[in-house]
Amino acid sequence: MKILKKAPRPFSLCFVFVFWLWPALALAIDNSACLDCHNDEGLTRENTHGGHGNGSLFVDGIKFNHSVHHINGILCVDCHADIEELDFDKDVPHKKELAKVACASCHDAEAVAFTNSVHTKISSKGITMTCYACHDYHYTTHLAAASVADRENNFCAKCHNPYQGHDWLPKKEEHFAFVECTVCHAPEVPRHIHLKFFDLVTNKFYKGEDILKILGIRYDQFMPLVDTNKDGTIGKDEFEIFELMLRQKNVHAIFHAELVAEMAPGAHQVNRGVAERNCEKCHTADSAYFDAVTIVLTKEDGSVDHHQVDRSVLASYSLRHFYIYAGTRVKLLDLIGIILVGGGLCGVLGHLTIRIVTIPLRRKKDN
Amino acid sequence: MSEKLIYIHPAPVRIWHWIHAAGIVALVLTGFQIRYAEMLGIMPLPDAITLHNYVGFVVIADYFLWLSYYLGTGKIKIYFPDLRTFVPDAIRQAKYYGFGIFKGEPNPHVMTPDNKFNAMQQKAYLGLMFMLLPAQMISGVFLWRVKGYADYVNLLGGIKIIDTIHVILFFFFASFLIAHCYLATLGHTPFAHFKAMFTGYEEHH
Repeated sequence: MKILKKAPRPFSLCFVFVFWLWPALALAIDNSACLDCHNDEGLTRENTHGGHGNGSLFVDGIKFNHSVHHINGILCVDCHADIEELDFDKDVPHKKELAKVACASCHDAEAVAFTNSVHTKISSKGITMTCYACHDYHYTTHLAAASVADRENNFCAKCHNPYQGHDWLPKKEEHFAFVECTVCHAPEVPRHIHLKFFDLVTNKFYKGEDILKILGIRYDQFMPLVDTNKDGTIGKDEFEIFELMLRQKNVHAIFHAELVAEMAPGAHQVNRGVAERNCEKCHTADSAYFDAVTIVLTKEDGSVDHHQVDRSVLASYSLRHFYIYAGTRVKLLDLIGIILVGGGLCGVLGHLTIRIVTIPLRRKKDN
Repeated sequence: MSEKLIYIHPAPVRIWHWIHAAGIVALVLTGFQIRYAEMLGIMPLPDAITLHNYVGFVVIADYFLWLSYYLGTGKIKIYFPDLRTFVPDAIRQAKYYGFGIFKGEPNPHVMTPDNKFNAMQQKAYLGLMFMLLPAQMISGVFLWRVKGYADYVNLLGGIKIIDTIHVILFFFFASFLIAHCYLATLGHTPFAHFKAMFTGYEEHH
């Protein structure tokens, strides 16, 4: 320590680099070294035991580069941690049998939740679930922007047919299309309404970058443009103005709303008998399920920006393609209802009253 | 007082009417439960939705029973007012409901099998049976299978537009139900029209 204190600062930095960081960098195996072999589609293992199902050892480098792990700078050897060095003099430059990837070493909270889930408990029936039974091996992408359909098709629906076991549920098709499984099956997980831009002409979702390009702004300019009163929430009026902006740019998009669970560890803690079956939790005007409403802007790397929207937008005609019985009812219609039914009732009671009051008049006439 | 029984409501009309009446009552009740789930406790929401759907289809089938009978027998014309006399007839009828009925004046419209509706009833039922009820049935079917009819729903502006039509008509039918039941008490006795809708015979005095 004394030496370091006495030494000039540039020398200290060199010392740290040469004796500490450089060996680590030199020892790290770069992904390109792995992909030199594994980017070959024909690469398979003779013995498929423990392999990737069909024995293929191919890793699509392009797809891998779009994965959330690569985007976050995770190297192949960070997961395949038992590969310490590559010896290219051998047929296989590393151990032939690698240890199973321990996702829990990084995703510890998710692992705890998963351990307490029905998907771990089924091991007593001889069924072993691994992380990659649901998540992809090498191509796991950001899920925050994923639609309900993608979340279901790429996860739960791989094993479960939602039409089996939901006999009690009315409007199954609509529920399965707009509500993510974990919203009910992991009821403790926070959830929110996703608003995405859907083009009715092309039948496709607009990506965040598309919308920003149309508006001619950057990501960081979105809220300043839309949230004019700067309160951090896009209010009902601001939302209408935003809608108008898009129309002026000739965008024929609707806001597509879905109820999704947040990317929280608890989403892995799915258990039997705890699923939410109380319809009124959702189908009520002040449901907590709609406290959080967000516009989702997907970025190029697949990550998303959530921009908070006032929940009153759900009960407005800005979201003409989204309606939940009781939950997002238009208040104006209730007023019309009071006028119609109340008016009918008052008219009847008024007429009846006059009929009763004028009974003597008619009796007198009959006599 | 002399009484004369006239056969006004044939059996198919009576069957249609009472199925329709029971259906509308059930639809209004379940409709309120569905829209105001957090306030009412008539029945659990899933049951209300299921019952609403089943009864809705019964009412739709019943509508076609009505349409087939009236088109088949040619009696459909009783729903169409005579445009030459409609305005004075309607004013006369409105005056009766507004004033004459309290003074004990006779109803200006005399019910016959070929002309059982007064001018105001004709106008109301024409709009009801040929416009409002079909609109309610179609919007109801779209709400029943939102995904299945997504193309039509989108074409009409989205589910919230369909729901708005359905809900406004729902309130209208709820209001109409109250008024209809009350107006049915305006016979020569409070239950005369109710009785006639069971027996088919109206008493003329």
